[in-house]
Amino acid sequence: MLEIKDLKKRFGDTVALDGVSLSAEPGEVVGFVGANGAGKTTAMRIAMGVLAADSGEIVYNGAPLGTEQRRRFGYMPSERGLYPKMKTGDQIAYFGELHGMSRAEAKRSTAELLEQLNLTGRIGDNVQDLSLGNQQRVQLAVSLVHDPEVLILDEPFSGLDPIAVDVMGTALKERAAAGAPVIFSSHQLDLVERLCDSVVIIGAGKIIASGSVEELKAREVKQLRVRVDTAEDLTAQLPGKVERDGEDYLVEGADDQEVLRIAAAAGRVTHFAYDQPTIAEIFREAVTK
Amino acid sequence: MSDQNAEMSRMRGLMLVAGREIRVRGLSRANVISLIVTVVIVGILAALPAIIGDDGPTEVGLAGANAPAMEAQLEAVGDYETTVYDDADGAEQAVADGEVEAAVADGKLYSEDGVDAELQAVLDSAWQAASVEANLAAAGLTPEESQQALATESLESVTLSEGGVNSTLDYFAGLIISIVMFMMLMTPVQYIAMGVVEEKSSRIVEILLTSLKPWQLLGGKVIGLGVISLINLVAMVAVGLGVAAGTGRLDSLPDGMASAALSSIGWWLVAFALFGTLAGGVGSLVSRQEDAGSVLTPLIMSLTLSYLGAIFLLNAPTSTFAQILSIVPPFSGITMPTRMAITDVPAWEIALALGLLAAAAVGALALGATLYKRSVLYTGSRLKLTEALKRAA
Ligand SMILES: Nc1ncnc2c1ncn2[C@@H]1O[C@H](COP(=O)(O)OP(=O)(O)OP(=O)(O)O)[C@@H](O)[C@H]1O
Ligand SMILES: [Mg+2]
Repeated sequence: MLEIKDLKKRFGDTVALDGVSLSAEPGEVVGFVGANGAGKTTAMRIAMGVLAADSGEIVYNGAPLGTEQRRRFGYMPSERGLYPKMKTGDQIAYFGELHGMSRAEAKRSTAELLEQLNLTGRIGDNVQDLSLGNQQRVQLAVSLVHDPEVLILDEPFSGLDPIAVDVMGTALKERAAAGAPVIFSSHQLDLVERLCDSVVIIGAGKIIASGSVEELKAREVKQLRVRVDTAEDLTAQLPGKVERDGEDYLVEGADDQEVLRIAAAAGRVTHFAYDQPTIAEIFREAVTK
Repeated sequence: MSDQNAEMSRMRGLMLVAGREIRVRGLSRANVISLIVTVVIVGILAALPAIIGDDGPTEVGLAGANAPAMEAQLEAVGDYETTVYDDADGAEQAVADGEVEAAVADGKLYSEDGVDAELQAVLDSAWQAASVEANLAAAGLTPEESQQALATESLESVTLSEGGVNSTLDYFAGLIISIVMFMMLMTPVQYIAMGVVEEKSSRIVEILLTSLKPWQLLGGKVIGLGVISLINLVAMVAVGLGVAAGTGRLDSLPDGMASAALSSIGWWLVAFALFGTLAGGVGSLVSRQEDAGSVLTPLIMSLTLSYLGAIFLLNAPTSTFAQILSIVPPFSGITMPTRMAITDVPAWEIALALGLLAAAAVGALALGATLYKRSVLYTGSRLKLTEALKRAA
């Protein structure tokens, strides 16, 4: 299990992180969301040891994270980087070796990944000759080549076409299924909703909401949506706070059974359910609070 | 994980970085082409004396009474091949046919269109010695007595100022050492800075630093480019010596050339450690390739000054300025091996220069590594040196 505990970091007068904590269990996919400049990249860089925190610590399996363990992590930085004039295959294998693999292991793993990512034909091409999306795939291969124990990915989906998004999503799910904790940041909240077991929302250097996707949704549930096949206006009859949303009634703070009884008496009830907010709505709610 | 394993993986990281530099830069088309071109030039230069052939033994024809004595004289001088002809006409014919360069017969010097001053002087003095020998024999001295009468010691040279110029060949040895040292520092230093900026501008350094320490990244780069330079040098020297040996000119190299070349490699290693790590350090101050030139200027200036200093020193090797120049780092890296090639340098001066240069290299290692560590992740406009040093790692 990877735990990020109470990180604080300032850049001059800017407070980038003000006591950020989050954790990922083995096999858990954690979505890290927040507005631009909220501190996601800073937190992930500190977790990867690229940046030093002012205070706080990173704990892995109960002990402070060391350099050797970190070498078995996979990282994709938000600002992508590859050697432009190095061959795709050589480059991926080089990173495998840097992460402690033997040359032969690194080569084998590189071939497998290129196959998975549909890049086998480009193995001998210089990275600068690939399209941007394909460079992204190579970047993913670089972060996966050593079969990492933990994945920390900063906006892995930005710049990908829908097919590549699927490839990337599948890759993340596979690693998680193999027992790796996975943390990734993203602004594409539909993807976060689809892929993540839990979500952490950061705003201005502080965690403002976190929990499993169901928990967060349940916590935000407030409105009962009722649709009745009738010409009558039920606004005055229904209990609690009632609003209209087109044909629908949105009811808040009332006994749902009583609402159902009144609605059924007025006509045929075609829709009766609590609105499930999307993660995007939860996010908007959280950051504007 | 045990200390030994950790140590091993640290060295492995360093070597992986160095290995990548060697593969990617050493085998790059630019490097391979420039190496082939240099090797061909060196080969041609080394073969030149044999092609022109002005350096081989001079062929001289002899005839007449003094011929045997002349032959003995010229043999003693060395580097002359003599042929004795039956008479003056035969010798003259040999000159006309180009069999010999010049011929001496019965007090006459035959040649196609005159001989150079050196040959003239040698033949003159051989003729005189042979004539004196003949006169002495005519006066009734036995050959032993006449040899005793003629026995002289050649002049012993005593220089008043310590360590004068040894010879023209030493001058050229010094010139070659200074040029090669200059090139062997200039090229890799620029490549190191460019490589650092490339990793920074492409942002790949952020991934590299998750599995490598800054010192491994910088050290590996410096080692890798050092190895490439050494390989290039070894290729040049091997081709040069090989061609010289193949054309039979190897023994005409000045004495001590081999040892001067070897000690130069030692000086190069220390100077390269100094300039290489500094280049990496200042390279990390900028984020764009276009800015690399401006931060490298001080390094390139000191290298150029060292080279110009070496050229000055070749022409005034015993001056006080030359003495100082060859002791003060970083100039001593190029100037001292040059000075050592051209003149005898007191051991204490060599030791002092080496000590100072090594101390400067250690300082440069610390400074370069600190600069690199602090600024390699910083992007944006160029960092000032003082800002970089103030930054927390
Ligand atoms: N190297 C730096 N120097 C100075 N300030 C920085 C540096 N890195 C980040 N910051 C500041 O720290 C804050 C958090 O930035 P960070 O990059 O972590 O945000 P983010 O959540 O990743 O944003 P985005 O969604 O735009 O990627 C911002 O105010 C940013 O300006
Ligand atoms: Mg970011």
